[in-house]
Amino acid sequence: MSHMMNPLATPEQLYQRRSFSALPIELQDAIFFSTQCLTQAAGLLLQLPQSVTAQANVLLARYWLEEPMMFHEFSDISAASVYLTAKLSPYPRSPRDLALVYNYLLSPSSTLFHPLATLSDDSPPPPPPPTNIPNDYYLPEHIYNSFHTRMLNCESRILYALSFDTHVSLPHSLAITYLQALDFLNTSKSTISKRTLAYLNTSLLSPQMLYLTSQPNALAVAAIYNAAKDVGAKMPECEWWEVFDVDREELGFLVVGMRSVDGWGRKMREDMERMKGETESGRRGGMIRRRDVEGELRRRGLSVGNGHAGGSEEPVDMEAEMARRMDEKMAEIEASAS
Amino acid sequence: MTGKGKSRWADSAEDAALEAQVKKEKEEKKRIKAEKARKAETEKKRREAEAAAAAAQRQHQQQQTGDDDDDDDANGPPAKRRRLSPDRDAPPPPPPLQATPTASSNDNSKLLRFEGGRFGKCRSVENYDKLNDIEEGAYGWVARAREIETGKVVALKRLKIDPKDRSGLPVTGLREIQILKDCSHRNIVKLKEVVVGDDTSKIDNIFIVLEFLEHDLKSILEDMPEPFLASEVKTLLLQLCSGIAYLHLHYILHRDLKTSNLLLNNRGQLKIADFGMARYVPDPPPPKLTQLVVTLWYRAPELLLGAARYGPEIDMWSVGCIFGELLTREPLLQGKNEVDELTKIFELCGLPTDDSWPGFRRLPNARSLRLPSSSSSSSSTPNPTSALIRARFPLLTTAGVSLLSSLLSLNPSRRPTASEMLEHEYFRQDPKPKQEAMFPTFPSKAGQERRRKRETPNAPQRNQKAPEGGIDFSSLGGIFGAAREREERGGGFSLRMV
Ligand SMILES: Nc1ncnc2c1ncn2[C@@H]1O[C@H](COP(=O)(O)OP(=O)(O)OP(=O)(O)O)[C@@H](O)[C@H]1O
Ligand SMILES: [Mg+2]
Repeated sequence: MSHMMNPLATPEQLYQRRSFSALPIELQDAIFFSTQCLTQAAGLLLQLPQSVTAQANVLLARYWLEEPMMFHEFSDISAASVYLTAKLSPYPRSPRDLALVYNYLLSPSSTLFHPLATLSDDSPPPPPPPTNIPNDYYLPEHIYNSFHTRMLNCESRILYALSFDTHVSLPHSLAITYLQALDFLNTSKSTISKRTLAYLNTSLLSPQMLYLTSQPNALAVAAIYNAAKDVGAKMPECEWWEVFDVDREELGFLVVGMRSVDGWGRKMREDMERMKGETESGRRGGMIRRRDVEGELRRRGLSVGNGHAGGSEEPVDMEAEMARRMDEKMAEIEASAS
Repeated sequence: MTGKGKSRWADSAEDAALEAQVKKEKEEKKRIKAEKARKAETEKKRREAEAAAAAAQRQHQQQQTGDDDDDDDANGPPAKRRRLSPDRDAPPPPPPLQATPTASSNDNSKLLRFEGGRFGKCRSVENYDKLNDIEEGAYGWVARAREIETGKVVALKRLKIDPKDRSGLPVTGLREIQILKDCSHRNIVKLKEVVVGDDTSKIDNIFIVLEFLEHDLKSILEDMPEPFLASEVKTLLLQLCSGIAYLHLHYILHRDLKTSNLLLNNRGQLKIADFGMARYVPDPPPPKLTQLVVTLWYRAPELLLGAARYGPEIDMWSVGCIFGELLTREPLLQGKNEVDELTKIFELCGLPTDDSWPGFRRLPNARSLRLPSSSSSSSSTPNPTSALIRARFPLLTTAGVSLLSSLLSLNPSRRPTASEMLEHEYFRQDPKPKQEAMFPTFPSKAGQERRRKRETPNAPQRNQKAPEGGIDFSSLGGIFGAAREREERGGGFSLRMV
C-alpha cells in the first residue's frame, strides 16, 4: 500500500498539456492559478480543514492533465473537486452548501480577486472595496438546481478521468514529523513549521504542479529547506535530506520552484485582471470565467475551441458553441423540473 | 435561505479571513525580501546554483529534444521545464491498468516516481466479454467476464447507482474502489481497474474489475456433504486473519465480514472481498461512526448495543462467527432481528457483567436490557464463555475453544487482534494447517451456472440512515415472548423496554 505516495504525472501528460492544447500556456496558467485560489477560498468558507481542500486542489490539477480546461466552467469543476473530496472525508458538505459558497464567491460582493492597490505602477487605480449587497448572491432555486446538476456532472467526469483514484497523500503532516526529527537549534519550531506549511500551501496554487511531479517526502523536505533558509535557521551540516529519501537534484528543483510561486502569483493576477477588465463591462476583478477566456482568445485572433488537441487551427465553431449553450440551458431546465 | 446565507458569510469573518491572508502573504513577501538581503543568502545561492545545475543536467539527460519553443521569461522558475517531453529512452510506461505497481518492483531509486502509480482515464467495459452472471447481491451485480485482449478471466462488479440520488456517486462505492486500490495483499481480492460504459458523456455504468475466484465460502459450505477438516479450517482462518491483520494495520475496517464475502480459488487461496462497507478509521476511532454495519448474524454486541465509537474489534467478532460457521457449515448466530441476535449471543457467550465488560451498561441500547445485577450474578465462573462454547463445539480442541471464545468476548477489548490471533497456539497444534495446494477442489458455481439470488437477512443497507435514538426495542414483536421463553429456560435475563 503506497500510503505516503501519490500517482505522478507522466512526462507525456506534462508535455501534452504544454504543446497540444488550444489554449496558450499563459492562459492555462492563469486559469489554473485562479481556479485553485477559488478552491481554497471555498474551502475556507465551507470551514473545511486545509487537508481536505488541499486534496481537492491536487485532484483538480490531475484532472486538468487529462481533460481540456475549457470543457467545464472553472468554478463548476472547482466546486466538484471540493464536493468530492469533502464527501470522501469526515467532513461532507451538501450540494446546497457548495452552491451558496460558490454563488457568493462569484458575486460582485466577494473580495476574491478584487483588484489590489499595489499591483503595478501603470495599472489604473483600484476600485474601492466591494460593498456587500446580499441581493448579489441571492440564490434562486433554478440556479441552484442547474449548478447542482453541473457539479454532479463534473464530479463523475473527474472520477472518470482519474480512473476513480481519489487517493492524495499530502506532505503537510510528513513535514511536521520531519521537523520534529530535525534539530534547528537556534529557531523556534513553531516559526519554522508555519513557514514550511506556507510553502506547501502556496505550492498548491502553482501551475508548475509540483504536487504532480514530486512525492510528498520531497515536497516536505524542500519546504523545510526553504523555511529554514528564510528564518535563518542553522541546518545540520550533513546532507540531511537524504535521510528522508530525497536526493540533491530533486531538492534543487523544488527549492527553486517553491520560491518562485510568489512572483508567479502576482503576475498571474495581473493577467487575470487585465482579461476581466477588458471583457466585463463595469466591474473589474472577480473570478475568471470561460467567457473571459473566450473573449481573450478572440482578441488574439485565436479560435474558441473546446481546448482539444489541435483545435487551435479551426475557425470558431459557432454551431458547436450554440449547441453547448443549448445543452447548458437544457440541463438547467431539467434540473429545475426535477 | 438567504437569511441563513447572509449570516453565514456576509459578515466580516470571511472578509477578515481573506484580508488576513492577504496581509499575511504581504508580510511574508516582505520578510522574504528582507531575508534575501541577508548575508547568509550567498551561501544559499551557492547551494541553489549547485542544485539547479544538477537539475539542469538531469533535465538534459532526461529530455532528448531541445524543447525550447516555450519562452520562459526570467520569472519562470527553472523547475517548470522539468520533464516536459516524453523520455524516449525510458522503458515503456506500465500499462494504465497498473495503478499500483507491486512493491517489489522497485529497487531502482530512479524509478521512485513510478511507485505511486499514475493517473489517467478509465477504459471501456467493451474491453471485456461477459461470460455469465455470478450473483445479484443486495448492492450490486457481479459477472464473470473475459478480457478480450488478453483472454484473462475476471469478475466484473457493477456499482449500483441511483440516478435519482442527488448526492452524486455513492460514497460507499467510491470508498470500496479506493480501499481496494490501496490494498495489495495475497488475501485481499485484487482490483484490476475500473471501467465505464461506452457512453462517457454520462458516467452511469461503472464496473469494478476484480481478479476472478471460483468460489465464495458460503456457497461451498452450503454444498459440502462433510464439514471442513480441522486442518482446513486452520488454513482458512490463518488466511482470513492475515488479510485482516493487513487491513487493520492500515486503519481499514471491513465492517461486513461474512462467508459470502470470502472468496476461495481452486488453489486453496482465500481472499477477502466486498469492501462496500469498508472505510479508513483512525486510531483512536472518531466518536461518531455509523452503526448500520455488518450483516446481523456477524454483528458484534457493542454494535447491537448502539456503540457509535468502535474499532477493529468488530471485525474480530465476525471472524469468531465465521470460525464457528466453518466448523458446522451453519451460520453461528442466526438472529431474526437485533434483539433476537443479542439474545442468541448471550445464550452462547453468557451475560456481560460489570467485571467482564466494564461500562457496557452505558451503551445506548443497554438501558433496555434487564440483567441480573452483578452482585447476584450466578455466572461468576472464571470464563463462562469457554464453558458454553465447549458445550456447543464438543469436537473442538482446547486451544480451539480458547481462541473461539476469546474472539467471541462480549467485551471488545478482550478480543485478540488479528496479529495476536495469528500467533495463537491453536494454529501450531496438531493437526497442522493444511497446505493450500493440498486443498480439495469444489465444483465452481461462479464459473458455470447462474447462481440463485440469496439473501442474508438484515444485511446493512448502503446509504441508510441510522434510526434516531438507536434500535427501537419496543416495536419488535415477540421480544417479550422470546425473553420469557428464555427466562423459562433459565437464561437468567430478559430484554425489556425501560
Ligand atoms: N472476484 C470475484 N470472483 C468471483 N466471484 C465473486 C467475486 N467477487 C464477488 N463474487 C461473487 O459475487 C458475490 C457478491 O459480491 P460482493 O459481495 O462483492 O457484492 P455485493 O453486491 O456487495 O454483495 P452483498 O451485498 O450481497 O454482500 C460474492 O458473494 C461472490 O459470490
Ligand atoms: Mg457481499
